[in-house]
Amino acid sequence: MKWLRQLGPLLALIVMIVLLSISSPYFFTVDNLLNIFRQSSVNALLALGQLLVIITAGIDLSVGSILGLCAVAVALSLKAGWSIIVSIFICLLVGAFVGWLNGAMLTKMKLPHPFISTLATMNVARGLALIISGGFPISDLPASYRIWGASSVSIIPVPVIIVVVVYFIFHIFLTKTISGRDIYAIGGNKVAAYYSGIPTDRRLVVVYMLSGLLAGLAAIILTGRMNSGFPLAGMGAELDSIAAVIIGGASFFGGVGTVWGTLVGALLMGVLRNGLNLLDVSAYWQTVVIGAVIVWAVYMDVLRQRVMKKKRS
Amino acid sequence: MKINKIFLVTAILFFIFGCNTVSNDGYRISIITKALDSEFWQKLKQGAEDAAKEFPNAKVSVLAPTREINIDQQVNILEDQILKRVSALVVAPCGVAEIIPALDKAYDRNIPVLTVDTDVDWPHRLSYVGTNNRLGGKLAGEYLIKALNGKGKIAIIRGIPGVQTHEDRVGGFLEALNAAPDIEVGVLQPANSERDLALTVMENILTSHPNLDGVFITSDQMALGALEAVDAHRLSGELVIVGFDAGEEAIKAVREGRLTAVVAQNPYNMGKQSFLAALKAAKGEPIEPRIDTGTALIDIENVDRINP
Repeated sequence: MKWLRQLGPLLALIVMIVLLSISSPYFFTVDNLLNIFRQSSVNALLALGQLLVIITAGIDLSVGSILGLCAVAVALSLKAGWSIIVSIFICLLVGAFVGWLNGAMLTKMKLPHPFISTLATMNVARGLALIISGGFPISDLPASYRIWGASSVSIIPVPVIIVVVVYFIFHIFLTKTISGRDIYAIGGNKVAAYYSGIPTDRRLVVVYMLSGLLAGLAAIILTGRMNSGFPLAGMGAELDSIAAVIIGGASFFGGVGTVWGTLVGALLMGVLRNGLNLLDVSAYWQTVVIGAVIVWAVYMDVLRQRVMKKKRS
Repeated sequence: MKINKIFLVTAILFFIFGCNTVSNDGYRISIITKALDSEFWQKLKQGAEDAAKEFPNAKVSVLAPTREINIDQQVNILEDQILKRVSALVVAPCGVAEIIPALDKAYDRNIPVLTVDTDVDWPHRLSYVGTNNRLGGKLAGEYLIKALNGKGKIAIIRGIPGVQTHEDRVGGFLEALNAAPDIEVGVLQPANSERDLALTVMENILTSHPNLDGVFITSDQMALGALEAVDAHRLSGELVIVGFDAGEEAIKAVREGRLTAVVAQNPYNMGKQSFLAALKAAKGEPIEPRIDTGTALIDIENVDRINP
């Protein structure tokens, strides 16, 4: 029955694609579908990290700011003349480090809820991004760096390949490895997980580090695509990533959620924005529609659970 | 029962989307502004739409991200419009460097690109339609020098760093100040063209620099936010405050004596001129690389003459 959980969002995605194909002649073209995938790639990576956190019944408000900080860090390293590999390494390291801070504040300092620790790093990371860049965008990055965000292999954009590969790895991680299964167990019942011998603190730190790392990866794609590391990158992106995870069928109470559901959630948001852009619908309406879709997707899930409960009794 | 409801919702959705049929004939001009959240952008939109009424074979759509800082959202909108193969694009870029990869795509597909309000450093842009911001900044600087008799301490509140419009306004302003060595710029802070942020920034400036004589603020929304802070500190009328844009609210503030002066832009004309130039470009006719939409300085002396 697990696949049923993703049926709601998947159905919504298909309905949206059909509707938009009817209403805009430009929508269902190879060019545009790749366009949607590329536009969704940053949110998809942030949402994947967010998913891990939400499975543990946590929340990561800092991913958007980590994205901004990493974008500035990688752009500055490149501008300082460091090699691309070193710069990318620094970018990922910064992301993972802020993630580690989130995890450490939660498990070592025992802050009561990840909302607090990540709210703190959200502010700190954004502030640091503005400080080290002086508030200015750092643009004109080396062409050989920009392949990560801007180029394509035959017709498939590189960011899309990155997303698919990373999602596949995390699918294996979550479903086939012991650490991955532990993450679900912690979200299901942290105390029970602890007493059954799972090193809960260590796993939680890893989860937040991975979330930060993925935000760093997203920064590489974004800076490549925009040819610039700008300190305001990813403002509000944490909310988009949470929306994608929730639309994708994960539960805020932890223990539930899949990698592919989240991908569907991120794509659904990308399809909506792109489709409404093609129809010349104002950006203000887009936010209304996305809000409505969040309610719709979660309500479907509530209905499903009610039906299943009835069947059981 | 439940199935019926789902069916109903789907039917409504079909209706909504079905109404937005796209016509392929004639010229389609897309104008993508930084936002639509202020009178400035609304007037620009109005100017473009009014101009388009004269041309039955041309259609204009004015689109924007939700906030000026949403650069990636603007890039997405731009890419989507390019995919639709519109006849010509007019852009007011949220980020002058970040937008260029998207503009390259437009060039690859032979879509003419113009800029409005804010220019970009990109070899293929056909024309820049807008205020001469450097000149506007200079006007503001000269006015402030005169109002302060060439002596005093001032603050500058500016838009997002790196955006050429604000760089030019600040640059022109500072250039004018070179003539007045006794005027000291105490603070230069960004408030991202956002009203609420400008209120906070101004409050902080007034607290840390109590002996301030004047302020230059590079957009209306920020000026109006800053005025709230000035009023709250009961300093209204005591500071020389010069703004930029001159929308209706700012004009009213000049009449009331809260805002000393404002450099006026003409967003309605920007919308109109950019549409007309884009239509020409779409038809393959030559256009001027620089279309000035006019600048003027408004204070209590001339406000009734310029804005009756």
